Amino acid sequence: MPEVEPLSSMGGEGRLELRQIGVSFGGVAAVRDVSLVFRPHVITGLVGPNGAGKTTLLNAISGFASVERGTIELDRSELTKLPAAQRAHYGVVRGFQTVRLLEGETAFDNILVGCERASQPNIFAQLFNLPAQRRSWRRDRGAAAEIAERLGISSVAHRPVAELPFATRRLVELARILVVRPKVLLLDEPAAGLNAHGRRQLTETLQAYHAVSPFTMIVIEHDVDLVRRMCSECVALAQGSVIATGDPGHVLDDPEVRRAYFGDQVHHA
Amino acid sequence: MGFGIFIVITALLPFVIGQYYLYVVTQVMIYAIATLGLDVLYGRTGQLSLAHASFFGIGAYVAALSNTFGVPVVLQPVLVLGLAVIVGALVAIPTLRLSGLRLALVTLLFGELFVWLIDHASNLTGGSQGMTVQPLTLGPFDSSEPLDGYALAAIASLLATVMCVQLGKTQYGRRMLAVRDSELASASVGIPIVRTKIAAFILSAILAGAAGWIYAYVVGFVSPTTFDLFGSVNFLVAVILGGSGRVLGAWCGALYIVLVPEVFSSIGYPNLFPIVGGAVMIVVAMTIPRGLVGSLEKLGETLWAVRGRRGRAGG
Repeated sequence: MPEVEPLSSMGGEGRLELRQIGVSFGGVAAVRDVSLVFRPHVITGLVGPNGAGKTTLLNAISGFASVERGTIELDRSELTKLPAAQRAHYGVVRGFQTVRLLEGETAFDNILVGCERASQPNIFAQLFNLPAQRRSWRRDRGAAAEIAERLGISSVAHRPVAELPFATRRLVELARILVVRPKVLLLDEPAAGLNAHGRRQLTETLQAYHAVSPFTMIVIEHDVDLVRRMCSECVALAQGSVIATGDPGHVLDDPEVRRAYFGDQVHHA
Repeated sequence: MGFGIFIVITALLPFVIGQYYLYVVTQVMIYAIATLGLDVLYGRTGQLSLAHASFFGIGAYVAALSNTFGVPVVLQPVLVLGLAVIVGALVAIPTLRLSGLRLALVTLLFGELFVWLIDHASNLTGGSQGMTVQPLTLGPFDSSEPLDGYALAAIASLLATVMCVQLGKTQYGRRMLAVRDSELASASVGIPIVRTKIAAFILSAILAGAAGWIYAYVVGFVSPTTFDLFGSVNFLVAVILGGSGRVLGAWCGALYIVLVPEVFSSIGYPNLFPIVGGAVMIVVAMTIPRGLVGSLEKLGETLWAVRGRRGRAGG
């Protein structure tokens, strides 16, 4: 279990390797024979048409879909058979396409939930407020306040999340993930449902955080401009298989990728 | 500061009110401990249980039977604790697969089993007739003295309250809220969902067991009707009416389930309580789903916000 302070300096390597991953639902292959290496601290965009298997691949990495074949390794630890909650302790953490929060609680309490991945005292120390618990409570509150500040949501931290606009809720979910620095962050269309301003704000916030406290990141995104701006690597999927990898500019202009995305008629704008 | 006020009021109360009312307050304190327990399980963790009165009963029958078996006073709390942990964990096992109403049904089964056991072990427990409980004596302490029983309940309820307030500031407390609100989000941040539910069951069983143990000594009589389905529903009413997930709510709920039947008895219509209580519950569920304390909090927030806005507009 991780045990370093402060929480924002946790994390570390974050080299994720997938070997011949296969996932299928009721006999239908959603992801087939995918082998990929995600290098530490690199932001990779995952693109492809609907039904290409992007979300399934993310679920397989985070433990929300069980892998039929192949292996998943993080910095030489094998994660393939671990349940999602245990993978989170290894530092593989995901966001949800539809933000999932504790609706009745405040933004600040939602962020605190993310401190689960930091070491905590035993239940007796917690219930009887022993010194170890007091220390970790101070540390967790500090870390939550810090991440709220860095993501620009301090002013709404005391408000119940149910009252907050969608863009802010997205940031609260991100803060819950980032309060203890992850090794691998998985995001499923983080900009979906945001307007142009919200998208820019989100990518800038993420990039600023990543620049100071880097981690490996895989992000599914349909917004091609956002992928070009934010990602330094790109992986294109179609029908469950990898069809192109490399520099985003390269991958997004690849004729096969364009065919998979837009069908046969390619119109150049 | 809240605890300071609690201690001062508790210390002064015996000088202000008579013995009968002191006895009623003692009951409120005992029921508050048990209600805090169900609040941990249902209010915070979202696990619906219809067996809470059985855990209350386990504590009560430990007290009642200790005299029969000659269990020393100091061993009894250990026995209550051990039984609560074991039985709490056993009843928690179905949560591995069930939730919501289906879980409630399984816990209901356990509750019925408990009452059946008490009824059928009548040579020990007196069956449905109940049995008298010999008072707890330790040095000058005698639980059948109103002031002594009051002191015991006051100290225990203060401890339980402090612990539940503290729970809100801990990883376990956060896990419970997360499991209640979204199991998917819980798993994604690394929360062990099953372990959290089992911990909630055990903690709630411990609080209920402790309350039951004190109840038996203070009241001096136990019978299975106190610990049946109606008793369990009563605790649930207390949690929901007071405001689930809130320590103060559990106290308000306990106040309600002790005082209101008392009022109906004093005007000579004790049977009215279940009917009126049911109607009150429907009104509460429909109009203030957050319960009394939750709604007052919301009202306070709104007033505060309005005041803030006026202040800014004026300045």
